[in-house]
Amino acid sequence: MTQDVEMKEQQVAFPPSNSASSPTPVLQHLKEIAALIETGAYAREVRRILRAVRLTIALRRKLKVSVISSFLSFALAPGSEAHSRLSSYLPKDDQNDMEVDTATSASQATVKHSSELEIYCYLLVLIFLIDQKKYTEAKACSSASIARLKNLNRRTVDVLASRLYFYYSLSYELTGDLSEIRGNLLALHRVATLRHDELGQETLLNLLLRNYLHYNLYDQAEKLRSKAPRFEAHSNQQFCRYLFYLGKIRTIQLEYTDAKESLLQAARKAPVAALGFRVQCNKWAVIVRLLLGEIPERTVFMQKGMEKALRPYFELTNAVRIGDLELFKTVAEKFSTTFSSDRTNNLIVRLRHNVIRTGLRNISISYSRISLADVAKKLRLDSPNPVADAESIVSKAIRDGAIDATLDHANGWMVSKETGDIYSTNEPQQAFNSRIAFCLNMHNEAVRALRFPPNSHKEKESAEKRRERQQQEQELAKHIAEEDDDDF
Amino acid sequence: MDPKLTEVSQIFERLKAALLRNDFDTASRLLSQLKILLIEFKSLPPLFAETPNAIQELTLARDIYEHAVVLSVKMEDQDAFERDFFQLKPYYTDVGGRLPQSAQEYPILGLNLLRLLVQNRIAEFHTELELLSAKALENPCIKHAVELEQSFMEGAYNRVLTARQTVPHETYVYFMDLLARTVRDEIAGCSEKAYESLRVEDARQILLLSSDQELFDYIKEEHPEWEVKNGWLVFNKVKESSASSKEIPSLQLINQTLSYARELERIV
Repeated sequence: MTQDVEMKEQQVAFPPSNSASSPTPVLQHLKEIAALIETGAYAREVRRILRAVRLTIALRRKLKVSVISSFLSFALAPGSEAHSRLSSYLPKDDQNDMEVDTATSASQATVKHSSELEIYCYLLVLIFLIDQKKYTEAKACSSASIARLKNLNRRTVDVLASRLYFYYSLSYELTGDLSEIRGNLLALHRVATLRHDELGQETLLNLLLRNYLHYNLYDQAEKLRSKAPRFEAHSNQQFCRYLFYLGKIRTIQLEYTDAKESLLQAARKAPVAALGFRVQCNKWAVIVRLLLGEIPERTVFMQKGMEKALRPYFELTNAVRIGDLELFKTVAEKFSTTFSSDRTNNLIVRLRHNVIRTGLRNISISYSRISLADVAKKLRLDSPNPVADAESIVSKAIRDGAIDATLDHANGWMVSKETGDIYSTNEPQQAFNSRIAFCLNMHNEAVRALRFPPNSHKEKESAEKRRERQQQEQELAKHIAEEDDDDF
Repeated sequence: MDPKLTEVSQIFERLKAALLRNDFDTASRLLSQLKILLIEFKSLPPLFAETPNAIQELTLARDIYEHAVVLSVKMEDQDAFERDFFQLKPYYTDVGGRLPQSAQEYPILGLNLLRLLVQNRIAEFHTELELLSAKALENPCIKHAVELEQSFMEGAYNRVLTARQTVPHETYVYFMDLLARTVRDEIAGCSEKAYESLRVEDARQILLLSSDQELFDYIKEEHPEWEVKNGWLVFNKVKESSASSKEIPSLQLINQTLSYARELERIV
């Protein structure tokens, strides 16, 4: 379950910076980010802050204690409450290479700092603590940040806040105290709803669902989900998570068709880098499809980087496809540890029924008439009264439309009906229609998802292109000049 | 000992005695008294206040609700069962760590599973199942309900009925009887589709009825469309409308084609 926590942001290329002069390029980057946040806060442009957060994630691996503490002195007034509190979370660093920067920070300390920057500092320290596996400090730091956030009501903070919520929950999950913060998360969700902070609502709803599902509280999760306000998703990552949780809830509640749709969509929408998350989605999707009586294609199991993780599910699929109860049992036992760590054990128990169905369907196709004793033997039903069992199982399969046959009780056999030509029915047309509808829907959604940031065409012009364009213009000018010459 | 606690325990003793005598009127009267008294304990859900007597109070309240559940089964009142069970549940889930495990926990959880099965609330059945630990699933009371559900889904109905003889707990009998009725309806529905006709004695056996008269009564009540002709039971199947499949659903097709055209126009 922990695998899907990290759904990494797509790495963003760094803007070329003239950091050669600075002794610590990372610090320089951080300062650039701080400037970005300041302008974003000043101009009320949420987009800029979003970008700042993305840039931070890219910096994540390069963070060091010294860098962070000098950044803190730069961003927060030394001696202020936030500064001393945040510094206290950082582990003490022996080598004091902060000297280099004291001069610059002292000169800028007088600048009035926005609350956005303060929240950003909390976020930075928190990410650092989690990466350093200092979970107790991370818990303290995140709780302090949440307390601070309660007094802030600014739209520009929302982006940072939603990030903080995520790490808040993560730090508690890593220490296994997820149930402690459930009440807090609910309160935060309420506040976010009142403030129309949709990104915050989205994040918090996911965190709450995760919190409930962590303890298998599917009932509570579904009640919250169905009553929480829904709106168009702001963040793709959060939407993916939501779909995944929704798929899980629906699977448990036997709404397989809807579950399949959510799980497949989640797997498709997830960023390529989020391998763990996609593996989880695929595992669940495979089981749901099996429960629906579908057999997933081989390509599903051969996706890059997933072969090993999906191996148990592949063998399981194989057993269901053949309809062999014995094989199914051995596979379920062989991988029982995997299945129980994936918490899919109960779902696999449900599959037994599908194995029997598939086996029965195979028999019904192969034989036009077969005795019930043979059916029981072929299905390998081990029960005290196999014939009576087989008879009632077959009759239920007939009623559910899984096979087309009749039973003859007096003689104790099953007579399969002729399979009709499917192309004489409306079935193909319906299948065709659903595929077309899917494609058209996909196209419409893609069109709707396109975004055009203002003035983007100007920014896109890179240095090379500009040179090219200038060259072309020059040539044109020359050409015109020559033509002019010719005229003379 | 706290005087209130003593009072509650005394009434509870009387409730237990009444339950043993199967004196349901007295028992339910005492139970409503107890429930009102329990409200005054601050340590119980939803407040969970840390009072000095918390453990004693919680244990007592859990015992009372366990008896309430048993009482509702004995009175064959499913709604009361549901209410009492939900009141009891927090004592297992939320304060489970603080109290020693109750001997009644698994039988009652299994009973609840059985109730959901009888009421055909399969989704909730599985939701409850997810909450149980691997250890709980091994318990005979819970295993019983889980296996019943599996047999029920597969269609191995005779296994459901033999399970009635092996009930792990006396309180299960009531629900098992209800389940037998559900199973009979299922079997009737399946037989209707699977057989063209059946000999009356076979039908009686398959539907698990003890006499021909019972069978005739059952047919009259539930399936008046079945016919009994010289010792054979003939299911009047609704003739499959094969003609309809040859007909082209023109209106639907036109609608679909028009929508394709509209969508394509938007793309091009």
